[in-house]
Parts: sequence; structure tokens; C-alpha cells
Amino acid sequence: MRAEMLTSILAELNSSSADIEASAVVSTDGLMMAALLPSNMDEDRVGAMSAALLSLGDRTAKELARGTLEQVLIKGDNGYILMTYAGSDAVLTVMAKSQAKLGLIFLDVKRAAESLSKVI
Amino acid sequence: MLIHKQDLSLSTFCHIGGLCAEDQDVMARVAPFITPHLADLTEDFYAVLLTDEQTAPYLKDRIDTLKKTHLMWMNDLFSGNYDEAFIKRQEKIGDVHVKVRVPPLFVAASMCFLRAAIPPIINQNVPDATESSSAVASLMRLLDLCQFLIDRKYSEALMDNLGISPALLVRLQTLKTT
Repeated sequence: MRAEMLTSILAELNSSSADIEASAVVSTDGLMMAALLPSNMDEDRVGAMSAALLSLGDRTAKELARGTLEQVLIKGDNGYILMTYAGSDAVLTVMAKSQAKLGLIFLDVKRAAESLSKVI
Repeated sequence: MLIHKQDLSLSTFCHIGGLCAEDQDVMARVAPFITPHLADLTEDFYAVLLTDEQTAPYLKDRIDTLKKTHLMWMNDLFSGNYDEAFIKRQEKIGDVHVKVRVPPLFVAASMCFLRAAIPPIINQNVPDATESSSAVASLMRLLDLCQFLIDRKYSEALMDNLGISPALLVRLQTLKTT
């Protein structure tokens, strides 16, 4: 039931912008809770890497006096990976196209993270 | 002794490794035959460390202190008392290794040296062959225990620096390689 609700929020997020290609919600221990990922992506890897990157981002932000972490953004040739907390115990990971309008995506991701945190 | 219900990892380690009260008794019985040789073993150990270009720089200016500490640790190994205080001493050693930035490789290599170097001393100096054989087995278990406790401190430092949980560390360590 909870997994279905989480998947439904991810589906809504993915459909909010044509530039969002995939999304997943993961526990801070790296366990996949729900995902809408391409079939060629390994959920275990996405889960563990997302949780690790957000944790490291959190630690770095604190260490370098940047305050509370809002998000971790990775940019590659083929697009973006955006990670943010969904509540205190989960991570929302979103993959977007390289030409994506980040401002709009940030907004959609923030809303989705809030919805996810209420379910989690 | 060696019952660590609050520490599940250590409990599993001791259970599977077969660490038990008999290890304490055996080590205490053979200690009088072995401890007189530990100072020479310490000299041999540091002589090897000094011949390696990676380990030698770590010994600079403090070799006498390190030898003294190492000899105390080896005497502790043969004390026959492996209680909570013994566990805490090994963990403290791990903390110090992390603090002074000794790479984990050096711990593994040092334990390897000791696993090879101590059994011949036991075999040559413990009069009873059965006792000698039991002491070697107990020693191996104890060295593994010490290495486990020290290694765990490196893992804790890594988790702390990355801000990750033990569960996430295991997940990252066991991800399928691409």
C-alpha cells in the first residue's frame, strides 16, 4: 500500500515535466522504497549511491559551514541527477535531461519530496 | 569473558571464530614460556618494518616508544584475560591508528607477520605438544579478534566521515560490480 502511494507520487513527478526521465525514493540506508527507473538501471546501485551521495553532501555542507543541506546536484553530458531529502529518513533521486529547466524541476521535486515525506 | 550480547558483530565474530574460556586458560598457561621471547620478537618485527619504504617513515623519531607499546600489547595477548577492558584496549589501539593515519594495510601486514612469527616460538618453548598446538590455535583466534576490532575502527571513521550508517556501508561494500 505504502509502496503504491510512493510510486504514485513518483509517477506524478515524472509526468510533471517531459525533462524528468526517472525518479526513485530510497531510505537513508540505501534501501530502495519505490522507483520508476529505466529497466537497464540497477535499483540496488541507484539506492546505495543516492543515499551515500546525499549523506556525503550533508556532511560536506556542515563541514564547510553551508548550513542544512537542501540538495545534491550532479551534471553530466547526458543530463542531471538531483537528490534531496524526503523527510529525515529517505532520499528522493531524480534524473533529468541535459536541457532541463532546473528551476521548474527544483520546484516539482520539492513538492514531491514533501508528499513523499508525509507517506513515509 | 568474550560474551558480548550488546555488541552483535563482536558476538558473531566470537561465536563463529570459536573464542571461548579455554583460549584464556591456554594462553595463561603458556605465557610463562613465551613472554621472555616477546622482546626479541618485537625487535625482529620493527627491523622488518624499517626495511619497508612505506612503513619506515611512520616509525621515524618514535621507534622506541612504538616498540615499548608493541611489547605491552603482545604481553597483553598472553595475559589470559580477554574481558571488556581487553576489548576496549584493542579499540583504543584502533582509534589511535586512525588518529595518526596509519593505513589499514599496515595492520593487516603486521598481523600477517605475527601469525607467521609467533607459532614457531610457541612450538619451540612450550614443552607439551598438545598444549603448544592449542596455544597456536588460541593465538590465531586472538590475533584475528584484535584485527577485527582495529579494522572496525577504520570502518567507523569512514562511516563518520561520509555520514553513512553501518547498513549503508555494507550495501556499498557488497554492490554488484558493473
